[in-house]
Amino acid sequence: MPSLTYVVRRLALAAPLLLGMSVLVFGLMRVIPGDPAVVVLGYKATPESIRAMRETFHLDEPLLTQYARWCGGILRGDFGIDFRQNEPIGRMLVERLPVTIELTALASLAAALVGVPLGLLAGARRGGAADRASLALGLLGISLPDFWLGIMLILVLSLAAGVLPSSGFVPFAEAPLENLWYLALPTLTLASSRAAALGRLTRAAVLDVVHRPFVQFARAKGLAEGAILVRHVLPNAAIPIVTVIGLQVGYMLGGAIVVETIFALPGLGRMTLDAVLERNYPVVQSGLLVVGAMFMAVNLVTDVLYGLIDPRLRRR
Amino acid sequence: MTRGTSAVAVTGLAIVVLLALLAFAAPLVLPGSPTAIASAAALQAPTVVEPFGMDDLGRSVLSRVIHGYRVSLGVALASVVMAVLIGLPLGLLAGYAEGVLDQLIMRPLDILMAFPAILLAIALTSVFGTGVLLVSLALAIVYVPIVARVVRAAVLATKAEVYVEGARAVGATARRLVLRHIVPNCVTPLLVQASVLMAIAILVEAALSFLGVGVRPPTPSLGLMLSDGRGFMLQAPWVVVFPGLAILLAVLGFNMLADGLRDWLDPQQGTGR
Repeated sequence: MPSLTYVVRRLALAAPLLLGMSVLVFGLMRVIPGDPAVVVLGYKATPESIRAMRETFHLDEPLLTQYARWCGGILRGDFGIDFRQNEPIGRMLVERLPVTIELTALASLAAALVGVPLGLLAGARRGGAADRASLALGLLGISLPDFWLGIMLILVLSLAAGVLPSSGFVPFAEAPLENLWYLALPTLTLASSRAAALGRLTRAAVLDVVHRPFVQFARAKGLAEGAILVRHVLPNAAIPIVTVIGLQVGYMLGGAIVVETIFALPGLGRMTLDAVLERNYPVVQSGLLVVGAMFMAVNLVTDVLYGLIDPRLRRR
Repeated sequence: MTRGTSAVAVTGLAIVVLLALLAFAAPLVLPGSPTAIASAAALQAPTVVEPFGMDDLGRSVLSRVIHGYRVSLGVALASVVMAVLIGLPLGLLAGYAEGVLDQLIMRPLDILMAFPAILLAIALTSVFGTGVLLVSLALAIVYVPIVARVVRAAVLATKAEVYVEGARAVGATARRLVLRHIVPNCVTPLLVQASVLMAIAILVEAALSFLGVGVRPPTPSLGLMLSDGRGFMLQAPWVVVFPGLAILLAVLGFNMLADGLRDWLDPQQGTGR
């Protein structure tokens, strides 16, 4: 296991980043031109309703006080209420978060299960037919707009063939199989381009390792190619692969916005986008912060995994 | 550089140049206007004259795709150029100065990088508003940290080279060191990165427009065409098939160019990293 001090040091580095993120998100929502009360109330705005709204959301307070109030609330688990329905944002987050996390986890898993083996095979037989095919497929895959892929999957598999649903959602806890049924196309949409990217990177990482002396030694002592790949090449190519899987998860947290919109999934990404479209700033603010924090947490886990994979890094 | 990689680079370059020519010479080659509405031709299937068919308002899909390229490539180019104009000096300064200045420049940029690109772009367009220029600006801000990091890394690597030390030893000024010896070594990684960023910018602009936070109608945008076309894609698949293929082709072109450039500049890495 990585030492405790290693983990603590990583956590200490994360704190100022999180603080900076909260300042950025808060600041962004405050530089939007126009009085939010006027914008949100629209044609219903009367001097009284504007005053009432300013009071409810403390919009007249100095910025620093507002920021402190927001941060203080979050530390107590209170994200405030939203501009439109006056619903607690914390509850919205709790409802939406599991959908996005499940989608991202499923897509990451799918991308890793497809991308890593393909990259391994391609790298092991460099220049062969499989390698060239995977190169072409990889290039095509990373160039594929995921929202277009989603639309095409809906067109062919849902509308034309009627095999898989194009929208709808059931929580996993209620009906696990049905839940996976609904998430099949969204997962495929989100995972495809990432599987391609991961395959490309795995191949490059493998190529970096296959000509090292210890691989040649393993081959010289008569080890089977498969065993060499799994036991000697993969562990040594693991650091860049794990790094990229970590980055991919972050990318997918962003991509989830698009996929949740296409497939009408009640996730965090769609909540944030809807909030942007209806200028529900408190929701945008908290949604952004939570996604950013998750992205950061993934990077943190990746860092700790480095320590597991390569003991030399623990001492750094 | 093997023959295979040069073929990739040349093909990528050819696609990019061709699409750029098409986009910027659009009015000369257009079969019809991208905004002219002809309800009689609504959802007409592809024909010889209109190989991409017509959309729900009877507008030529081909003509809209070509005009959409203008927006796609224009936004991508503008955002990458702006990002380089801001990110290059920042990266040079951070890498050359190191220490406190480096921290002062790079730490705030880390915060920008802590958000998924598309999310940050959406947040920025919610501040700036939508439209071609504002979307370019939002993307540029998303890219500045990436450019600065690439440049900074190149500067740090170059600074350790013997010839830079030599130039310093014979009394070259800091200005001369940076401009004559360090900047030329940043150009190549920056070119690769710029090509990758062009590819991503085309994807992100299309995604933003698709989501309704990018380019505004009636400007023809590939992403907007996809969101408009979703409602009747079963009757008229061409309204979503061709704009999507168009995005794919442009992104593929820039990715191939980036791959080819990378191999050419760094032959040891092997093909297709």
